Amino acid sequence: MNSAVMKKTMFWFVLPALLFYCLFWVFPILKLFQYSITDYNGYVQKFSYVGLDNFKTLFHEEILGLSIRNTLIYTFVTVILGNIVALAIAFLLNANIRAKGLYRSAFYIPTLFSAIVVGFIWSYVYMPDEGLIASFLHKIGINGIDTNFLGSYDKALYSIIAVDIWKNIGTSTIIFLAGLQTVPTDLIEAGKIDGAGRWKLVRYIKIPLLATSVTINVTLSVINGLKAFDYPFVMTNGGPGTSTNTLIYAMYKMAFTDQLFGKASALGIISFALIIVITAAFVFTLNRREISA
Amino acid sequence: MKSLKSQVAGVAVASLFTVALAACGSNNNNNAASPSAASSSAASPSASASASASPSDSAASAEPVTLSMLVSGSKAADGADFELDTLPKLVKEKFPNVTLEVQKLPDEQYYTSVKTKLAAGEGPDIFLVFPNMANMGAIEVAKAGYAADLSGLSFWNNVSKAAMNDMSYEGKPYAVAKGMDILGAYYNKDLFAKAGISEVPKDWDSFLAASEKLKASGVTPIVMGDKDPWVVQFGMYQLAANTVYPSDPDFDKKLQTGETQLTDAKWVETVNQYKTLYDKGYVSKNSLGMASAQAMQQFVDGKAAMIFTGTWDLPGVTAKGAADFERGFFSLPGNKAGEPVYASAATAAGYALNAKSKHLDAAKQIFEYLYDGQSPLFQAWVESNPSISVFNGVPLKNEIFKDVLTEIQSTGHAFYFSNQMWPAGVSDVMQSKFAEIIGGKKTTAEDVTKAMQDKYKELYKG
Repeated sequence: MNSAVMKKTMFWFVLPALLFYCLFWVFPILKLFQYSITDYNGYVQKFSYVGLDNFKTLFHEEILGLSIRNTLIYTFVTVILGNIVALAIAFLLNANIRAKGLYRSAFYIPTLFSAIVVGFIWSYVYMPDEGLIASFLHKIGINGIDTNFLGSYDKALYSIIAVDIWKNIGTSTIIFLAGLQTVPTDLIEAGKIDGAGRWKLVRYIKIPLLATSVTINVTLSVINGLKAFDYPFVMTNGGPGTSTNTLIYAMYKMAFTDQLFGKASALGIISFALIIVITAAFVFTLNRREISA
Repeated sequence: MKSLKSQVAGVAVASLFTVALAACGSNNNNNAASPSAASSSAASPSASASASASPSDSAASAEPVTLSMLVSGSKAADGADFELDTLPKLVKEKFPNVTLEVQKLPDEQYYTSVKTKLAAGEGPDIFLVFPNMANMGAIEVAKAGYAADLSGLSFWNNVSKAAMNDMSYEGKPYAVAKGMDILGAYYNKDLFAKAGISEVPKDWDSFLAASEKLKASGVTPIVMGDKDPWVVQFGMYQLAANTVYPSDPDFDKKLQTGETQLTDAKWVETVNQYKTLYDKGYVSKNSLGMASAQAMQQFVDGKAAMIFTGTWDLPGVTAKGAADFERGFFSLPGNKAGEPVYASAATAAGYALNAKSKHLDAAKQIFEYLYDGQSPLFQAWVESNPSISVFNGVPLKNEIFKDVLTEIQSTGHAFYFSNQMWPAGVSDVMQSKFAEIIGGKKTTAEDVTKAMQDKYKELYKG
């Protein structure tokens, strides 16, 4: 059967890419399933099959629940707070203010740095007693506030999340901004003629029309949150104790420090399943709400 | 017929693509190799000269050889770095056909990278190995067949027995230790004098009393960068050397059979001793929010009187800070009054050779040259090395360690770092559990030791 659009033989062009895709992506993932039932240490090539032992130990240890909890908190906060702030900034930057271009660039700048650089800088900002925040508070005469942000069990995770939001806000803002600019002016004018106030315009016209951008941003930040690794790695080493261990960080630690590749693979599979379920749920619910302009 | 033809054409195009990609790959390799080829051909006359000069150089023919080397650590702050600059240069002078390509990675990345490379069969020809059972320890590397047996090399008579044993598996050495490292407390002599402490504390009670005096005089007695969790080890192992091992030197051997456990009273006491320093506020509060480099800065700025770390940190500790003062070094005394102080000293990491290297002979010749005790390369190595040499006849470079070292050499009162006999991972649990204590959680010393024992049982495999 010859298609009118494309000759069948053209599919051969897919082959090289497909080969690489299978070799570097599909095959390793399948390997992960194999390793998850072994005691492979990632290093010595001899290993034996241990059945579901890895999964059993994982379910008995507190690290699984803890890292899932941390990851979910991380995701939840970055999604909600990150997007609300980004949306607010987008509205501000969409308004007719002076030096709009300057502000737009300013909010985008943090996005340009790598996570490592940002994490490193912020670990000095957060440094107790001597860091930027601590000395600023001191300067303006506020004392007695505990400035040990990264070293406290209660605050460390949220301090890291704040940095993540700070860095990624630029991307979300740009997407919202682009969305806002596609809102047709005739709809807004129609709204105005019908007597809608500023808030009503936002609530009933702009936000519903931003649904596509919301889907993109929320999905991106959900994925970003579930994959959180860089900031715990750079800023806290998962600490204090294990209090900022995310799923991916715990996996990394397990594989490369404890040298339990088998167990880490098992954890990988658990988080793989978890991430798929959560992302799928998000995408489906949000897709249904979208309105086409 | 036509469709078959076009199919063939399609396959041909597709395979062309692959070839093009493959060509890109090999091109890269050529690029990497070409400088060495060019330089060695230029230098070939002298290659034959050096080959005839030393008859043992069987492999030092003019054939160009590129050896890869992977080590951990950070580049020297100023001047030439031994591993990155001096070593390849001096090797080139002696063996003109040999090009040494050295890569230096931060510790954490080193472990990951070297293991991945070894497992993939693309290990570096020369790499860094740690003593005994530590992470990337000699025993593990030898067992896996990655490190080459070095017992045939000629310089072993010049190396201290202890250093050789710590790098051996089944009686054969697999790496040459850089030297010996000692854990201790670096202290600020001026702050000690100001607080009215006339001599270095020699037992646990007097150490606590000294800390109390320092605290009363308004300085932070001890600063630790606990945000980098591994620094917990620096204090803990010194206490273990006094509290755990003197009464039972084989404690860690018995751990393997289950005769002793990390939950034994001795380890609980060790953890409690270290906990005391935090409970009484001798360690800077907020230490969990401070990285080790930041802690070091506090020490050199004269804001804290002591910092626990090892001989390897001498450059950092003696760096110029906001305050000028004299530094000293002593073993953290975990002992009871009247008993001797035991130091925590252990063999440092050392270079090993890849058993599967294509150029094992050439690499062995470099080792013979590097460790012969007199060559310019050996001198340069000793000169750049902060560890205390384990080679006979090499004098101590750094006066600051003299007291502790003399004590160790005359009495033999020293034990290794505990993690050298633990599977990698146990010390991590110790750190993360102990961090809970630092962070003010209700974790007890018993909880810490229990977590350590559990991890040990999970990880130790005969």
